[in-house]
Amino acid sequence: METELKDKIVSIEKPAIEAPPEWKPMIMGILCNWCSYAGSDLTGTSRIQYPPDIRIIRVPCSSRVDPWFIIKSLQAHADGVLISGCHPGDCHYISGNYYARRRFLVTKKLLNFVGLHEDRVQFSWVSAAEGAKFAQVVAKVSEDIRKMGPLHLYKKENTR
Amino acid sequence: MDYTMQIQDTAARLFSEEKIDLFIGYRSTGFDNNQVPVLIHHYQDVEQLVFTDKSVFNLTNYLKYEYTRNKRVGLVVKGCDSRSLNLMLTENQVKRENLFIIGIACEGVMNEQGEKAQNCVECVMPDAVIYDELLGAPTGQREYQVNADINELAEQPLIERGTHFEEIFENCIRCNACRHSCPLCYCNKCCIDQETSTLYQGSNTTSGAFHALMTWSLHLAGRCVDCRNCEKACPSHLPLHLLHKQNEQVIYENFQEHLAGMIKDDRGAFYKYSMSDPDDFIM
Repeated sequence: METELKDKIVSIEKPAIEAPPEWKPMIMGILCNWCSYAGSDLTGTSRIQYPPDIRIIRVPCSSRVDPWFIIKSLQAHADGVLISGCHPGDCHYISGNYYARRRFLVTKKLLNFVGLHEDRVQFSWVSAAEGAKFAQVVAKVSEDIRKMGPLHLYKKENTR
Repeated sequence: MDYTMQIQDTAARLFSEEKIDLFIGYRSTGFDNNQVPVLIHHYQDVEQLVFTDKSVFNLTNYLKYEYTRNKRVGLVVKGCDSRSLNLMLTENQVKRENLFIIGIACEGVMNEQGEKAQNCVECVMPDAVIYDELLGAPTGQREYQVNADINELAEQPLIERGTHFEEIFENCIRCNACRHSCPLCYCNKCCIDQETSTLYQGSNTTSGAFHALMTWSLHLAGRCVDCRNCEKACPSHLPLHLLHKQNEQVIYENFQEHLAGMIKDDRGAFYKYSMSDPDDFIM
């Protein structure tokens, strides 16, 4: 599961800046309480290994995720964001993830439009029974972000 | 497009019949034919009112303040303004019975260079969609046009796009004029203002502007009517329409050709859903 680090890691958005050799990705995981959080719990109790780059926040439903959370995470520290909720039709609140799906599409397209790679922000549907899928998803996101390098875009401070 | 006399007559009639306490319109600044919004309280002031193709501002913005909230107001709306008014009515920000709306079948307004403004060239609904009295000849809904700037930028590689937008965000001075000039930004306390601590660099930095402008445009996604009051108010002349038009285009293409504020009681694209919404980007 461990990904080999390359000799030189550069940010895909700003190739001029080289990452320090000990750099590790920081992924913000925002998981829905009823499916994905239980799914990640199952991953742990089943002793399935996944990369330790993810920091998890539990929210009541994937439609609780305001696009603001994603932007704030990227601005503050995170190199990538993973948002996970129930499969369509399985929402505990009947239709929350349908509303969330619309918001995610617009957010993803806008972030890509302003110059972030589209894999910086990823979404997944993980049910409470899919512990193995959660490990795969985290491994994929972690590997994508390791390839893309640290996020340097829009990190400039004190311009004036 | 000159409806000065009709608007003056209507305003005078409304004041004499005591139907309104306040009339919101445009007056000439006396310089270069430019116009500014004016709030008229008395019958004798109605001759200040004008309406030509220099009447650029969205007057529904004045309805969100406490000053006008409990008054009976008459106002002038163009096509785009009437759509934002429709949204404000749907979101219970104003009461319909307090308003007398003079709708305009708009022929497009001028920008600072004296040409027809870009949002008027691409306008989908030039006629007022909600009114008590309509001036001009309605032409009906037009076909949706994709913004040329968006197309041009979307074809550029990722790195160039990032550099372009970083320059834009770098010039933001965080004066919040965009927010104050937007008729749909009516929250008393904005969520963006929580992040003024240095921890999140919410202040006057590229990072802070990224956070503020992106959050702002995503909170307006599916509601923005492209009146471009924000761009007119921006002291740094940032092309804020890029963010809004991008969202509008994605929503139009993916969510059953949704356009904000066209029908009454339509709360916006994010307040409804369809089973056939695109799902292929989700793992």
